Amino acid sequence: MNWLNDNVVLLTLIAAAAIIILTVGVVGKYMKQMQNDKSGGELAKENWDGIGEYKNPLPIGWALSFLGTIVWGLWYVLAGYPLNSYSQIGEYNEEVKEHSTRFESKFSNPDKATLMGMGEGVFLVQCAPCHGVIGDGINGKAANLTKWGTEEAVVATILNGAKGSNYPMGEMPAGLLDAASAKAVAAFMMQEISSVKKTKNAALVEEGRALWATCSACHGEDGKGMDGSAANISNYGDAKFVVNVLGMGKKGAIGSMPKFNDGRLTNVQKLAVGTYVNSLAK
Amino acid sequence: MFHWLERNPFFFAVGVFLVIAYAGVVTILPDFMESARPVVGKKPYTVLELAGRQTYIKDSCNACHSQLIRPFKSETDRYGMYSLSGEYAYDRPFLWGSKRTGPDLMRVGNYRTSDWHEYHMMAPTSVVPGSIMPAYKHMFSNTADIETAYAEAYTVKTVFNVPYDKPDMPKLGTLDESKKEVMAQAALIVADMKSQEVKDAFKKGEIKEIVAIIAYLNSLK
Repeated sequence: MNWLNDNVVLLTLIAAAAIIILTVGVVGKYMKQMQNDKSGGELAKENWDGIGEYKNPLPIGWALSFLGTIVWGLWYVLAGYPLNSYSQIGEYNEEVKEHSTRFESKFSNPDKATLMGMGEGVFLVQCAPCHGVIGDGINGKAANLTKWGTEEAVVATILNGAKGSNYPMGEMPAGLLDAASAKAVAAFMMQEISSVKKTKNAALVEEGRALWATCSACHGEDGKGMDGSAANISNYGDAKFVVNVLGMGKKGAIGSMPKFNDGRLTNVQKLAVGTYVNSLAK
Repeated sequence: MFHWLERNPFFFAVGVFLVIAYAGVVTILPDFMESARPVVGKKPYTVLELAGRQTYIKDSCNACHSQLIRPFKSETDRYGMYSLSGEYAYDRPFLWGSKRTGPDLMRVGNYRTSDWHEYHMMAPTSVVPGSIMPAYKHMFSNTADIETAYAEAYTVKTVFNVPYDKPDMPKLGTLDESKKEVMAQAALIVADMKSQEVKDAFKKGEIKEIVAIIAYLNSLK
């Protein structure tokens, strides 16, 4: 009889016995009442097919629980619901607040590897639908980010012009310089102005410096864009350049890029996207 | 005290109805009226957007795409701010959808652009590898039904007092005036598109469904 040593089994057996005893007792009591008791008291006026109703007072327990319900109802309407009610938006706000706090403390000083991982994740969700999973712009449907940030891309921009960022200086026209001069000025710009600080054509830097006036007329001597009049190209090749584009959006020759300034991305996430996009350039 | 009610089943039923109706009126109506009011800055759809909306309904976009962002961090991270009742004030019928086979489109206008929609409708997998969405090539050849869209706008303006022709609200006017507005709005979208077929048709004064639905999707913000 091992199973009798189990507490749960014992408890179940005791409960079953109790239920049987109580049932027998209660049924017996009412059986007796039905056999022996005579009804009495004042009858109410209404009766249904000969079945009447006595004007008995409410049983005390019944009356107390009824009053209790009324009191609870008043408390719930006046204080319980207004002060403690659940709100989906409230829970959402708390969830977001908790997450933001955790996010900020965890990523207050992200290292390069963290930014790259985060950047890839955000890129795949927010950027890949247009720029492609590998960032190649899907056959010219969007900017090819594997080229962006390179010297060749600067040459291409000088030859083809640029538009769509709504700078006060307006569009950058195509063909400001011929191919050879463009190559030279790109070498100078990459070496001296941009964040990359190196060029593949070191020999052309001095030639490019002489031609820099063509660019500095709008972008400024230091390439910083003269306080927002034109694009700041001094951080070309840096995550900050990408962060700037994310904030402004662009309506360029290829198509339109939406702004990412509606709070969907935090500043750290934007920086992460910038870092990841920079790494795409081969 | 209430024995006379028990003798009169009809009045008893009336009494029960009154108690329950009162509870409904005080708990449901005030919140309902407050939240059904258009949120500040919400504008009714222009006629071109309405034509696009009818295309959206006709092609059952709502069978796979919802337009309702729930207040969960995972949703607002991906789709933007959660939805409010007042944002649907001019949606007749609302297009909440009940299943997300594709992503939510409540605020798609914030993160997709005309040229992307054009590629995507023509061949979804060309921009989203592995997408199971069917291509909607017929939108490039079917002409949008601007007259019906105008009729819808005119009806809701007349019957439901939707604020067309009010300051800072979309213009409606007569059918001819409205067609000019539609052409002006469509011109901006066609300019952003690449399809020669759509551009040629527009020069002849025809607006293809793709133009209308892009106008509608861009208006979802």
